[in-house]
Amino acid sequence: MSQRTERRGIHVDQSDLLCKKGCGYYGNAAWQGLCSKCWREEYQRVRQKQIQDDWALAEKLQREEEAAYASSHGTQTQPHSQASAPQQQPGHASLGPFSKFEEKKTNEKTRKVTTVKKFFSPSSRTASKKENQEGKTPSPSTSRRASFDTDQVSRDFVDFLKNLQKPGRDIHKQCRAFIVNMSSKKDLSADELSECVQDFYQGMADRLMSHFKGSSEPVEQVMDQVEKYIMTRLYKSVFCPETTDDEKKDLATQNRIRALHWVTIQMLCVSFDEEIPEVSENVVKAITDIIEMDSKRVPRDKLGCITRCSKHIFSAIRITKNEPASADDFLPALIYIVLKANPPRLQSNIQYITRFCNPSRLMTGEDGYYFTNLCCAAAFIEKLDAQSLNLSPEEFERYMSGQASPRFGGSEGDWSGGGPAGGAGAANPALAQLNHNLELLSSLGSRQEAVAEAARGLQADLLSWTQSVEREVHGILEKYPLEVLSCTVSAIDANNMDNDNLPPPLTPQVFAG
Amino acid sequence: MGESLPDVPGGDQERGAAFRRPVRTLRVKMVLLGGSGVGKSSLALRFGKDEFRSTSPTVGCAYLTRVVHLSEVTLRFEIWDTAGQEKYHSVTPLYYRGAHAALLVYDISSRESFIRAQLWLKELEKQSVPGSTLTWLVGNKGDLDQDRQVSAQEGKKLAKDRSLFFTETSALSGDQVNELMLDVAHRVYEHVGEEQGGLTEWKETLPEEMYHRDTSNPLSSCCKVGP
Ligand SMILES: Nc1nc2c(ncn2[C@@H]2O[C@H](COP(=O)(O)OP(=O)(O)O)[C@@H](O)[C@H]2O)c(=O)[nH]1
Ligand SMILES: [Mg+2]
Ligand SMILES: [Zn+2]
Repeated sequence: MSQRTERRGIHVDQSDLLCKKGCGYYGNAAWQGLCSKCWREEYQRVRQKQIQDDWALAEKLQREEEAAYASSHGTQTQPHSQASAPQQQPGHASLGPFSKFEEKKTNEKTRKVTTVKKFFSPSSRTASKKENQEGKTPSPSTSRRASFDTDQVSRDFVDFLKNLQKPGRDIHKQCRAFIVNMSSKKDLSADELSECVQDFYQGMADRLMSHFKGSSEPVEQVMDQVEKYIMTRLYKSVFCPETTDDEKKDLATQNRIRALHWVTIQMLCVSFDEEIPEVSENVVKAITDIIEMDSKRVPRDKLGCITRCSKHIFSAIRITKNEPASADDFLPALIYIVLKANPPRLQSNIQYITRFCNPSRLMTGEDGYYFTNLCCAAAFIEKLDAQSLNLSPEEFERYMSGQASPRFGGSEGDWSGGGPAGGAGAANPALAQLNHNLELLSSLGSRQEAVAEAARGLQADLLSWTQSVEREVHGILEKYPLEVLSCTVSAIDANNMDNDNLPPPLTPQVFAG
Repeated sequence: MGESLPDVPGGDQERGAAFRRPVRTLRVKMVLLGGSGVGKSSLALRFGKDEFRSTSPTVGCAYLTRVVHLSEVTLRFEIWDTAGQEKYHSVTPLYYRGAHAALLVYDISSRESFIRAQLWLKELEKQSVPGSTLTWLVGNKGDLDQDRQVSAQEGKKLAKDRSLFFTETSALSGDQVNELMLDVAHRVYEHVGEEQGGLTEWKETLPEEMYHRDTSNPLSSCCKVGP
């Protein structure tokens, strides 16, 4: 933005455009005023520093943890631990042979994991290297806050595991080793990364399952924390990784949704009556929730956003229809919400959740149900055509190309009406504003149309004017043909009456002598 | 048989079991498929209705849960309803994924719905790992016998050809609905629930073991199938 205004200014100092490092190349605002080469160097430097910081922090945390464990073993002795739940009794405290962990991981290729992925992301296998890498790198300054959050998550994890005592410590060790291991595997494809993480989950869950004697609830609790810890740390390197075309798909989806801006509630057969304030409130909340998904880092937190969004949709339908929503109501409504929200990086988020969430959460459970519906909505939007909106192919084409807008009386271009859109969002200020803006936009559109029409008229006028002028000229020319008068070339010396003022011709004078 | 669909919280059955050892609760995912208007949502509501411990006040009936007690185990059914309109067919396999049971529903008073069920079947067979989900063909609206367009014989034959289980139900009268639920519970437990540890959501659904299904051999007398 600032760059554009600068450029627009009249006085642009040449030095403003050059790389801030003074290397002589032109800089770019997207690279903080550096040229691509200097930016890459700078980015590497910052990143290197951050890796070092991370390591320092990890070491510090480890010392803290060890101290914490030492003290908890020293002071918090038998009476405490025996009073707690049976699974925390000393006899059960060992989590079994973790050393076999790695072996097992490699031996056991989990079919489940791969099939889930294959299913949810049929095209994720076509990985392609991206040429332009600096385009998507986060700016060095934004990573500060992120690393702060990461610290907090690490501390919470340690606090949680302390309650588990000895096994807690083993879990922590395993997780840390895993993260270190992962950071050395930068070149893996997205699927391979996913497989590593899923294998780790599976191994950990198996181990916990036997530790907790097959009782699933504590296992799930621990696994949630493990996922949170691991994925917070890995997020930056595995979300929308460069080895995939996730980013390209995000852009395609975003453009597609933008092109579908004209789709109405009626076309999708959604049971929302947005004139009821409570309904439009829920619609706005649902939109907010689905947009918020992108800001979460832990797959389960992203799922949480989808679930909250879905609950608001259910409420909106129930209030509208006065009966609980069925699947036939829900899916179209979710599609509508996704179209209205155009959630940032939708495909990347779906892929990330699919790759790194515990698969049982995606295929079963309430969260899984809503996530599956979101996947369906995304797939549906990709394929959406005239038939799925009950439109004729011609209408669909006209709307897609922007030649007509269904908001104003549909294909016949009934501009005068203008009314129907106004009422819909009146209840909610934001929606009303939106509608207002939309109306302004379309009235602008119609005015532009009028201007264009006038311009065309003017052009036609101009054409006919020149023609009429030509015709007139012709007429005149015909009436008064050009007569070529025989013209006598007058010589200065001739007897010309007009030449009175001329000095008399010089006459030779003869001098006697 | 000591098995029941509970209508009282903590019935005798459950208490009795608690003395022996804690009864495990396994999660079962069941998907409802079929054309629009065949009665999927009505069936889902029927299944979910008798649940004694209604979870959070249900905002919708697209996702419902139902607990079924068998003699050695408790199954917590998660019932996934799907949108039936044709335009959503291409995305339906997403729901099917990871399901332990699927009910492919048609309306016995509509031949079209029966034909659509067959198209659906083809689609599902194409897309999913064969044998990973136990599938029932369900002829619903059994109460509309006077308008019947699909005979029970036809349904049975289709089921047999595709090695599906078969039954006719009425979501309206409730006829055969509980029987179907128990049948699903038994068979799913038989195939999936033997897993050591019993937490199905962490385990594969054992494709190999589930290949060998036998429609002709009901597991026990309490879950008689079909008319
Ligand atoms: N007579 C009769 N009607 C039924 C039965 N099940 C559902 N219906 C009716 O069929 C219509 C569609 O049912 P619904 O559950 O919404 O079908 P879905 O589209 O498959 O979810 C509703 O009007 C129901 O009342 C049944 O067993 N018998
Ligand atoms: Mg329905
Ligand atoms: Zn430079």
